[in-house]
Amino acid sequence: MSDITRPAPAPGSLLARLAGNNQLVLLVILVVLCIAISMGAPQFYSVENVIAILRQCSLVLIIAAGMTMLLIAAEVDLSVGASLAFSGVVAMDVTNKTGSVAMGAAAGILFGGLVGVFNGLVVTRLRVNSLIATIATMMILQGGVFLYSREAVQNMHLQRAFTDISTGYIGPIPVPVIIAAVVFVVAYVVLRHTTLGRYIYATGANERAARLSGIRPERLKLIVFVVTGLLTGLAGLILASLMNAGQPTAGRGFELTVVAAVILGGTSLTGGRGSLLGTLLGVLVLKVIDNGIIILRWDQNLQMVVPGVVIILATYLDLVRKKRDAT
Amino acid sequence: MRPDTAPAASIAAPAIEMIGIGKRFPGVLALENVDLALAPGKVHALMGENGAGKSTLIKILAGVYQQDSGTIRIGGTDANLRSPRDALRQGVKVVFQEIALIPEFTVAENIFLEGYPTNGVGSISWKTIYEDAAALFDRIGFDVDPGEKVGNLPVSKQQMVEIARALAHEARIVVMDEPTSSLTPAEVSLLFEVIRRLTSIGIAVLYVSHKLDEIFEIADTVTVLRDGRHISTKPIGEHSNDSLIHDMIGRRIENLFPRKRGTAGKDVILKVENLTSADKLKDVSFDARAGEVLGFFGLMGAGRTELAKAIVGFDPIRSGRITIGGQPLLPHDTRTGTSLGIGLLTEDRKSEGLMLELPVLHNMSLASLESYSRAGFVDEGKERSAVQSFVDRFRVKTPSLNRQIKFLSGGNQQKVLLARWLMRGLRIIVVDEPTRGIDVGAKSEIFALIDQLAAEGLAVIMMTSEMPELLGLSDRIAVMAEGRITAIMNRDDATQENILNAAIA
Repeated sequence: MSDITRPAPAPGSLLARLAGNNQLVLLVILVVLCIAISMGAPQFYSVENVIAILRQCSLVLIIAAGMTMLLIAAEVDLSVGASLAFSGVVAMDVTNKTGSVAMGAAAGILFGGLVGVFNGLVVTRLRVNSLIATIATMMILQGGVFLYSREAVQNMHLQRAFTDISTGYIGPIPVPVIIAAVVFVVAYVVLRHTTLGRYIYATGANERAARLSGIRPERLKLIVFVVTGLLTGLAGLILASLMNAGQPTAGRGFELTVVAAVILGGTSLTGGRGSLLGTLLGVLVLKVIDNGIIILRWDQNLQMVVPGVVIILATYLDLVRKKRDAT
Repeated sequence: MRPDTAPAASIAAPAIEMIGIGKRFPGVLALENVDLALAPGKVHALMGENGAGKSTLIKILAGVYQQDSGTIRIGGTDANLRSPRDALRQGVKVVFQEIALIPEFTVAENIFLEGYPTNGVGSISWKTIYEDAAALFDRIGFDVDPGEKVGNLPVSKQQMVEIARALAHEARIVVMDEPTSSLTPAEVSLLFEVIRRLTSIGIAVLYVSHKLDEIFEIADTVTVLRDGRHISTKPIGEHSNDSLIHDMIGRRIENLFPRKRGTAGKDVILKVENLTSADKLKDVSFDARAGEVLGFFGLMGAGRTELAKAIVGFDPIRSGRITIGGQPLLPHDTRTGTSLGIGLLTEDRKSEGLMLELPVLHNMSLASLESYSRAGFVDEGKERSAVQSFVDRFRVKTPSLNRQIKFLSGGNQQKVLLARWLMRGLRIIVVDEPTRGIDVGAKSEIFALIDQLAAEGLAVIMMTSEMPELLGLSDRIAVMAEGRITAIMNRDDATQENILNAAIA
């Protein structure tokens, strides 16, 4: 979206010009990271490693696609981490009980969707602030998953199709990467080329103006919450397949990774501004940093520290850009 | 009326003098060479129509704005009011309509907000605060508990807290901006008692209002402003209702906006019956016809904006019926409203109209996007050419359709918002203060567009506080006061006097 929502760059300092396009900044950061890491660890560019990075990205990207829409609509969902784990547990359990991967997959995705419906109704009907509402949902799900199952649900059905969801390939490309790519493309098209996408931007940019124009912001927000929920269910299914178990404690803190990637991608917390392309770059940057820290054999705790620093830096550059816009 | 008024006001040395005050905002000359002198112990009323410059003048007194030219003298020496805090330190306290107290703090805490008395070790001396507040209230006869939370008090008492706050800082000049706008009659008489106490201890009061009866009851002297200029300052005894209204409106050319259109149509397209809302509107009924401009006039707080928002379905109503082209506006929401063909051009562009961060293109097509899309996909070529044609027709000055709308001038933003509705094809458009914050050149363009819309058969409902645009554009004029319609008249029967009389009623 940025190419049409941003004015032509005005002349200014190098920093300001560089910051003139958030996505360009991210692209530069990404390239610099890749070069730096590959100098320390040449195996960075191996096919195996690249595929590993993409696989890592896919889970985050699937949920981040929904989260981008939510943030553009000026809402947020912090229950995605807890919902991710719960959906995986449900997917594995239903597959165990029915012996059908299709049923299990559907149940997992549907569960995520229902969490989305719940969040959406609490936010739009009860008018609870989404930050608070979804933290509450997170707590309910984190406790609820243990009421549902005391421990991890193991794979008792031994169906090949279930593990293939995460470990299979189509040609040289892993299935999760393909799923993420499809989600990305669909979400990109929706945001950019459909009335729904336009209304999402409009609602986030100025809810009262949108309502005056005959749009129903509540309904729109409900839709976006449900979409995010469904995508979280889908990611939960892939995660359960990857771990070959429904793990109740999986996904702790995942919501922060997702929100961090979306914000790093230039989507505004105040709504109305953001792009999926930015989110994609944000996810890539975070996961390349993760990967680099591992293959350079740095202290793993830096996996949290470095992204924190990067987010502050990127947000600061965004402010520089805004300030320049304002003059 | 007090017999001693006129001589006393002219003899006493003024508490504060404003001499030759001028203030310019981008595109507007808000004040030009205005003089004002307040005598201690007297109530001086400041009157004028909306936009006459009253608020600018008192904001300068409050230290919110600084004058571009002219001097202010307090007690005979030149003064410089750099901020509200600074003004208060120099003895000037302005009580604005929007009460500036902290609702979660107690009355006494609010009174000493600018500087709490401390004890020997530097911690706040709460005992002193409450004792001082109570003593202060005793002295001026307020009946307020200093320990009560301000948020729990009615507006009238909050106002008194503001006044007490002024006295705690030994203010010699108290300015009240429309102090009775949210008071009941009983509270008004209480306020007047307090004002008389203030003057009895030698405080100069500047009383800003457009309610004639109040002015005649409380004021000693009246200054009238019009179009940013000083028109008259006279003892109240020399004024009558008519002479005050005359000073406020002056002699203007009545028809600044020659209409191009012929006579209005006869078909009633909007019927509003007995509309009542929870907060403001009381039993409002009127019709609007295709091809006419129906102007609504009212002073601040008359309920025009509330009416505008209610009839398009944006704000809820308590009772009454709205019928558009024979169909009821049910359910009462904007989705139904827009599909029946009624839309609102809001007075508050920033918070209800514009999507500041988004381009002109998306701002303009927002309400009509569905007609430029198929199966949910936007046909961007079609959208772009439609928007471009409106940009050309309305002469919107923008470097490109992709320009973020926040970079456009107020006039151009307004054209985009007007085009938003025309792209959709409305039958009734409600325009609320269509020229607010717009420079003179763009104003006449907006007028021409409104005129043209009516000529094309739309019913235009125009809410305005500007007398010239009301008289220049309307076919019929409805006047509101305190949530009711007090008069509906044909353009030919309307004069500034009878409109203003109905508005003050």
